Amino acid sequence: MRKELPDWLKTAMPETAAAPEAIARTAREQAETLGLPGLRDEEWRWTNLRAIQRGQFSAPIGVGADIEPSIRLPLDNPLRLRFIDGVFEGVPNEIPEGLTLSALADADEDTRQAAFSPTPAPSVENPNDALVTLNTAMAREGVVIDVAANAVIERPIVIEWLDGATESVMSHPRVLVRLGQSSSATLIEHIETVGEQPSWRNSVIVSSIAANAALTHIALGLDGARRLATERTFVSLERDARYHSHNVQLGGQMIRREYDIHVGGSGAHVDLIGLMMPRGKQVLDTHTRITHAAADTTSNEHYRTIADDAGRGIFKGRILIEEDAQRIQAYQSSNNLILSDNAEIDAKPELEIYADDVSCSHGATIGRLDEEALFYLRSRGLQLDEARGLLIAGFAQEVVDEIPLVELRDWLTERVEQRLGERDTADDEKA
Amino acid sequence: MTETQELEQLVKREYKYGFTTDIEQEIIPPGLDEDVVRMISAKKHEPEFMLEWRLSAFRHWQTMKEPEWAHVHYPKIDYQALSYYAAPKSQEELDADAPESLDDVDPKLLETYEKLGIPLHERAVLAGVKGANVAVDAVFDSVSVTTTFKGKLAEAGVIFCSFSEAVENHPELIKKYLGTVVPQGDNYFAALNSAVFSDGSFVYVPKGVKCPMELSTYFRINAKNTGQFERTLIIAEEGASVSYLEGCTAPQRDENQLHAAVVELVALDDAEIKYSTVQNWYPGDEEGKGGIYNFVTKRGECRGDRAKITWTQVEAGSAITWKYPSCILKGDDSVGEFYSVAVGNNYQQIDSGTKMIHLGKRTRSTIVSKGISAGRAENAYRGLVHIGKTATHARNFTQCDSLLIGDRCGAHTFPYIEAKNASAQVEHEATTSKVSDDQMYYLRSRGLSEEDAMNMVVSGFCKDVFNELPMEFAVEAQALLAVSLEGSVG
Repeated sequence: MRKELPDWLKTAMPETAAAPEAIARTAREQAETLGLPGLRDEEWRWTNLRAIQRGQFSAPIGVGADIEPSIRLPLDNPLRLRFIDGVFEGVPNEIPEGLTLSALADADEDTRQAAFSPTPAPSVENPNDALVTLNTAMAREGVVIDVAANAVIERPIVIEWLDGATESVMSHPRVLVRLGQSSSATLIEHIETVGEQPSWRNSVIVSSIAANAALTHIALGLDGARRLATERTFVSLERDARYHSHNVQLGGQMIRREYDIHVGGSGAHVDLIGLMMPRGKQVLDTHTRITHAAADTTSNEHYRTIADDAGRGIFKGRILIEEDAQRIQAYQSSNNLILSDNAEIDAKPELEIYADDVSCSHGATIGRLDEEALFYLRSRGLQLDEARGLLIAGFAQEVVDEIPLVELRDWLTERVEQRLGERDTADDEKA
Repeated sequence: MTETQELEQLVKREYKYGFTTDIEQEIIPPGLDEDVVRMISAKKHEPEFMLEWRLSAFRHWQTMKEPEWAHVHYPKIDYQALSYYAAPKSQEELDADAPESLDDVDPKLLETYEKLGIPLHERAVLAGVKGANVAVDAVFDSVSVTTTFKGKLAEAGVIFCSFSEAVENHPELIKKYLGTVVPQGDNYFAALNSAVFSDGSFVYVPKGVKCPMELSTYFRINAKNTGQFERTLIIAEEGASVSYLEGCTAPQRDENQLHAAVVELVALDDAEIKYSTVQNWYPGDEEGKGGIYNFVTKRGECRGDRAKITWTQVEAGSAITWKYPSCILKGDDSVGEFYSVAVGNNYQQIDSGTKMIHLGKRTRSTIVSKGISAGRAENAYRGLVHIGKTATHARNFTQCDSLLIGDRCGAHTFPYIEAKNASAQVEHEATTSKVSDDQMYYLRSRGLSEEDAMNMVVSGFCKDVFNELPMEFAVEAQALLAVSLEGSVG
């Protein structure tokens, strides 16, 4: 049962948008009929959008460029693309050769067409796509990242989503990423709340990776007590292309992140690695869908969640193998820990397979620390709490270790440890 | 014989139980309204409370919508075109009193069951036709034909009879337990069943009694254009234990027939119920024409501490299977188990699995599901493991494997895992693969035919589940599997 689009959202519908006119007009009409997904929608049975429904958010007015992120990531000469409350602050100077950055608003018709026509195409029947449709209808801000064929962009491209600078603001930014043949690039989403205000960002990233190109995509949801986010990433891969995704979510009131990945050329490979650590009353939710549409493709997915306090971690991963997509190897695992009796984990690993020469498996576990490792540590004289603490830190570390940027990896390791350490002190205070 | 001939013969081998019994039947006209519900109740000479119960279910059903979430496709069912009651006439004339002895049963019916290999003569059973020590309740369309070994069971205090007899002779038990596990309005098909159910089996095992023999019900759909709606209720009191088997077949017909059953199990403190199914409804022909729609709600509740419920199923027939035998683990230390083999060939569609709802402390559950798809079949596992807030130290282990034979079939896994307790331990594993060329090559080099090699690989794949079946059924299940997969190789 879908919820009707709240009035404040209906009236906020702009007359002009960044999408080509025909697409925007259809989206405006559909957005009203689609409304917002509710708990009765299969894809939303664990996550409710009540906070958005009741939010009364309004479009950003733009507060100027003087807001800086308070968290500094240890990155080597990054190219910053800053969005304050969803308003794009402009492209940086000195862009390396082979890279083109431009504001979506300045892009030509064809580029805008591409930005609003992702593969796989969202369908109106899918309640899940109500939010994408809303973005299409309302997006005015965004950025286009073009990497030329054979270009290797060493400098990380960082999208800074600085949310909550002004009161009750919503934004619907759209990003287009295109990698030419045999090129490579690293895209980092730095997600941070810069104010105490409630905010809602409904962003969409559409990316295409041409033959033999490689995109590394790191998303870091760093904090935010009142931050609401619905984030969607579309990726399409051609022959021998590679997509490596790292998704680390450490905070936010309600974060729903979705990946739709279309593996369309043989030899292509996808890695999806994720860590979610909800605490307080946070709801951190990731949904992934990988479609193997071509033969001889591989995917590897590995998600971990540590839920504390009354936090909720939600993971749903679907692997779909189309008819005639033979010789596929797809592996998926979801491992979860619950640290408190008020916390909750919901997981749904799915396989949907229409070809026979495949080797697919998935595994999901909840609440399992290695008993033998625990015994070993205790036999070395560690207290149960200490031993558990070490194993929990190690559990998270295995995901962080996969991040290819060494300095960023070390920085994140510390941040995750600090986060788990806060838990110990909090426990001591209680005791 | 040349290879082509051999192949042809294989392909031509058909559903063995596809015959119809030419017997005079009383079938009420198609259509469903309150009068039909009243008529069914009247035919069964039911007390007032039963009629009221049916009517309230029917009213609820009218407000419900047919579910669409399952991974199956079929044309809309016209519920007004079905007939909701069919009984062999001779039976009808005998009125509600079930036949006292086999001599009263229509010989044609006996012949039918003889053909199906279900012995209704107690002597025959003892002679070891199907292995000794199985008491059978035979259900033909809407009514129970006969129940064997009633006397011997009564000595032990076990009540095993048709549902209609139970309503008449043990209304207090029916009142106490009916609908307490699967409420009337649980889902669309359960509500429909609650309104129009005709017959089924009733088992009551009193405190501390171990049921001295296996109990079994054999369901047969015979009449055309009818739906079969049976209802089974099994109660094991404190410390009691019982093992129950069901089997089913139907004639070969071009139209689809609906079978919407409800099974409720109640296990009190230290009780144990083992429920096994070998489902072999007519699956439709190679083009996917005809076959049974098997939309079934099965649920057991471990109401007492240390209770145990085991579901074992071999699902080989039906055009569409839609069933999720579940366990509600309410009592502390209670145990739920689910072992399943689901085979789909040709155009069969299966959406099956289980739910394990952990509520009591230290509750444990095990799920082992083996799905085999061949031809153009779609086979989906759908399951839920829920660990509630109160279920401290609950554990679950799930293993679900799929085997693909041919490149036009589908195998799917949709598990839901929900945990709300820090001490919960849940493990889920799933794999999908095809029969490896290496395995086939090895067996073929040992002189096995392709078909035999395939059967051997498949039965090895299913071994974990077959081991859980009572011996006689394990043999039958193995044979059934071979028949179901005929023509799927080469």
